[in-house]
Amino acid sequence: MKEVILDCMGEACPVPLIKCQNKIAELEIGDVMIVQIDHSCAMKNVPEWANKEGYNCELEEVDDGEWEVIIEKSR
Amino acid sequence: MEGSKKFFDKITQTEFYQMWFKNAYSYVTGAVLLSILQIATLASTGEPWGVSGVFANWGAWIYEAFGGSVDKWYYFSSQGAQNTLNSGILNDPGSYRNMGIIVGALLATLFASQFKIKKIKNKKQIVAATIGGLLMGYGARLSFGCNIGALYGGIASLSLSGWVFAVFMFVGAVAGSKLLVKYFM
Repeated sequence: MKEVILDCMGEACPVPLIKCQNKIAELEIGDVMIVQIDHSCAMKNVPEWANKEGYNCELEEVDDGEWEVIIEKSR
Repeated sequence: MEGSKKFFDKITQTEFYQMWFKNAYSYVTGAVLLSILQIATLASTGEPWGVSGVFANWGAWIYEAFGGSVDKWYYFSSQGAQNTLNSGILNDPGSYRNMGIIVGALLATLFASQFKIKKIKNKKQIVAATIGGLLMGYGARLSFGCNIGALYGGIASLSLSGWVFAVFMFVGAVAGSKLLVKYFM
């Protein structure tokens, strides 16, 4: 079980979402991916995608206009 | 200072702050608001809602401020375009609307305390933004409207042109996505 950080700061839609989809394919079940974003659309579409895929997902506001989406590849 | 911090901390915890300022409105809420406001725009100004045409006028006014003249330009040759340019930016409803969008977006992000000046990550972003902006602006003028004036306004006034615009915008979006994945991922 490992934890990876995916830096999507300064990236606009749909780049963060596509990066997430590519990265999670490399991970094993049980691994955790922390996605750093500063694009408010990504704070909607990344969790939406994670929930649709059935992954555990949490959104945290870390600073003004900065968020971390924590996704566990739970299946 | 300590007192005011406490005051604002308390406000940001309230349900109303969360609902009105912090959380994004639903797509349905946004669609209903847009529909009502575009009817108000059409009723009060006599013209459907548009965004990008105004930027062309802003360009013309800036050019004129530096001593240039667009009188002979084909794009501005109609009587309507000349009237808009001659009566000035302070008498142009579209200019107020666009300034409202810019100031409103700034206020919304400040109220939600989500304002951030983003870093430019790499040179590719500058190149893509410049080329993309020029193509979008030029394309919007060629087609007499952008996704607001030509698509939204067109469909809302039951014009076939809006649907034609929609089909080709979709084709453009597919091509754009392919380029994005090829050069940005």
